Amino acid sequence: MTLIEFDRVTFVHQTGTVALRDVSLRVSKGETVAIVGENGAGKTTLVRHINGLLKPSSGAVRVDGVDTRKITTATLSRKAGIAFQNPDHQLFSESVESEVKFALRNFGFTEEAIAERCDWALNFFGLAEYRKTSPLVLSGGEKKRLTLACILAWDPDIVVLDEPTVGQDALQKEKLSQIVKMLQATGKTVIIVSHDIEFLWPLQPRLVVMSGGRIVADGPTGQVMADKDVLVGARVTQPQLLRLYLALRVRPDKPFFDVPTAERWIAEAAP
Amino acid sequence: MDRGGRPLVYWLSGGFVFRKVVSPFHKLDPRVKLLVSGEFFVLSLAASSVVEVALVLAAIVSVAAVAKSLKRIGRTIVFSSGFAAFILVVNILFGLGVPNAVLYSVRFLAIISSTSVFFVTTSPDELEQIMRWWKLPRDVVFAFVTAVRFIPVVMLDAFQIMDAQKSRGLELEKGSIPRRVRNTIPVLIPLVVNSVIRSGELAEAMESRAYGSSPKPTSLYGLSARWYDWSVLVLGIVLMVGTLYIYRSVRFPF
Amino acid sequence: MATKRLSAIRPAAAFEQEYRLGTLASVSGLSFRYPDAGKWALQDIDLHVEEGDVVLLAGPSGCGKSTLLRCLNGLIPHMYPGELRGEVTVGGQKVAETPMASLSQNVGMLFQNPENQIFMFSVERDIAFGLQNLGVPRDEMRSRVDETMRLLGITDLAQRAPHELSDGQKQRAALAGVIAMRPKLIILDEPTSLLDPRTAMDVVGMIEELNHAHGITFIVVEHRLELLTPVADRLVVLDAGRKVLDGKPMDVLADERAGGFGISIPPVARLYTYLAKEGFKLPRPPRSPEELAQELQAT
Repeated sequence: MTLIEFDRVTFVHQTGTVALRDVSLRVSKGETVAIVGENGAGKTTLVRHINGLLKPSSGAVRVDGVDTRKITTATLSRKAGIAFQNPDHQLFSESVESEVKFALRNFGFTEEAIAERCDWALNFFGLAEYRKTSPLVLSGGEKKRLTLACILAWDPDIVVLDEPTVGQDALQKEKLSQIVKMLQATGKTVIIVSHDIEFLWPLQPRLVVMSGGRIVADGPTGQVMADKDVLVGARVTQPQLLRLYLALRVRPDKPFFDVPTAERWIAEAAP
Repeated sequence: MDRGGRPLVYWLSGGFVFRKVVSPFHKLDPRVKLLVSGEFFVLSLAASSVVEVALVLAAIVSVAAVAKSLKRIGRTIVFSSGFAAFILVVNILFGLGVPNAVLYSVRFLAIISSTSVFFVTTSPDELEQIMRWWKLPRDVVFAFVTAVRFIPVVMLDAFQIMDAQKSRGLELEKGSIPRRVRNTIPVLIPLVVNSVIRSGELAEAMESRAYGSSPKPTSLYGLSARWYDWSVLVLGIVLMVGTLYIYRSVRFPF
Repeated sequence: MATKRLSAIRPAAAFEQEYRLGTLASVSGLSFRYPDAGKWALQDIDLHVEEGDVVLLAGPSGCGKSTLLRCLNGLIPHMYPGELRGEVTVGGQKVAETPMASLSQNVGMLFQNPENQIFMFSVERDIAFGLQNLGVPRDEMRSRVDETMRLLGITDLAQRAPHELSDGQKQRAALAGVIAMRPKLIILDEPTSLLDPRTAMDVVGMIEELNHAHGITFIVVEHRLELLTPVADRLVVLDAGRKVLDGKPMDVLADERAGGFGISIPPVARLYTYLAKEGFKLPRPPRSPEELAQELQAT
């Protein structure tokens, strides 16, 4: 079932720059899609169409069958939550608790539901101890988790993560990985915009490569990443495990998708 | 980060933001550009009839044309027309009489346009040079120039914040006036916070590059007027004096 | 102690020699606590940086990396007072006792966000910013600005305004502004975290060139270790304010304890460690997946 549809979308800025050229993309319910490409390729512009922040100059974007030009961003956001790169662009409340409740109030949940969802979100993201703390004094990693908590509290069907790993250390990235897996397990449609190939590789999502406002590749991670020409043109790097796999003369049928798998293969293949 | 579909405020403010253009006017020594704008300003104030103001506006538009910035000055005119109309209505309501009310509002238009001409054609670096020439304190000059340099950056921040909050269901365009004012809080607080963070980063970079170590900082470029600047300067003064003379001697119908 | 080959840029070196160039920066027993903080941000740090080194500084968020950098360039204690113990010396100058004006000509610092380091409306004026502050006369300023732009390959960007530059260009312009002050040591605080991988590699390439061709010493804080391990001479890991690991990058990454300190160990390094544990000692640590594949094939 197609949940998000980009139908020959072109987007032109007021300055005249063409940010998206004739982009067509269909995302099914429950899919995980990673969008990669260099800065300026159009990834961020693309995902801002999903919740209606941007409307196409030509072509159409449909979410759950409805053309995004027919409804407001606020309404679309109920279905599609975007976690932006910079948490400091969002946090403003007196307490972490009211920060989480902000969106819930805007979306018209009952007071009961608001309290319940807020509790759940704070507990799930390990922020319960900061309930009454000001969001502005949290650490970078905690702020990121808070923005995710705010979104998951209203339980959108679609979750968009815009460069979630920028500036994050290893532990924080591991937590993010787990959160993505949780989202997948609960049937959410997940869109990740990232240029962190090493982070994406173990998740093995459907991979969409963008360059110059166009989609230049779209398919399973292993397949897309193996095409060196496309990647070089789009200025995208190949993950280390894939490069290792491709450099081996004798190798298994599929590339190693994480280090333990590679270790197992080495252990078996070695004399 | 790219952003399309800019709201009205951003578009209107284009009338006061510098844009790099190659034109006979942009080439002028910034002091002469300031003087020319100043002359328009003075002539607008000194005008006592709508025809006189119209003359000044015509001159402003011609300079804008020479500076290849008609569209930008046009935006300023649109922007200030709203206020001008407001002034007109208020003055009439206060019993000023239509001819004078019209004069005041049209004068307002001309004054704002004259300042717009200066800001659109003068870069922040040139502003800095003028301020140094006036021997203003080093810190004042730096604060002013940095502020101007970061206006577009802060505006971009504001749009990104609005996007983020709209994505959490915040309605910025609907609702009663009090509600809309309250809805600006989720935008203003992050904006202020971000600006504070930004100032901190700027301060670190400044310190690391020895800001404040010399009471008399030198500069890469200095101001030096060439014959071109002098001729425009003299021409400007002549025209201004001539216009003031015309104001005094000719009685216009309105 | 690291040794470094003299490159041809040093006029006297028409031949290559191994020299110990000497310690450029030294930190002994450094502890620092911000005012009103309970915890010590840095505890008893000892660090020696040889001239010509590229040192990679890593550790989880909050480990004190940024604090250590600021102790090296003088922002601590001059801009951020606090409780400071121990001593930091750079280029013969005691950081705590030397004013920033003087320090900034020995140590330069590049920050994470390129936008917040460019003050002027044109690249060349911004490069001159530090020189202006020091009161350098115009002629000398002009030649240093031109030389710096040539060095970084941005002469064609001289008149551009910051908003006309891409992120990579902005970072290059910011670096030029630092280099114009001719520091011997340049410190970079996560210079590539806001850049995409290819642009990040360009920045790393520049660091490498400046280091090899011009002998500038670098200390870089970075999470994405795989970007810098090919170029770095040393990797120093901090955890909760203490230095826990210090040595050649691949040796540190191969250390069993490395994983426990919350740093991102690149897959190639993890496999190298695994192989070593299983008894397959490869002749040398592989610097890329392709090298690892070759060495695996060879065994």
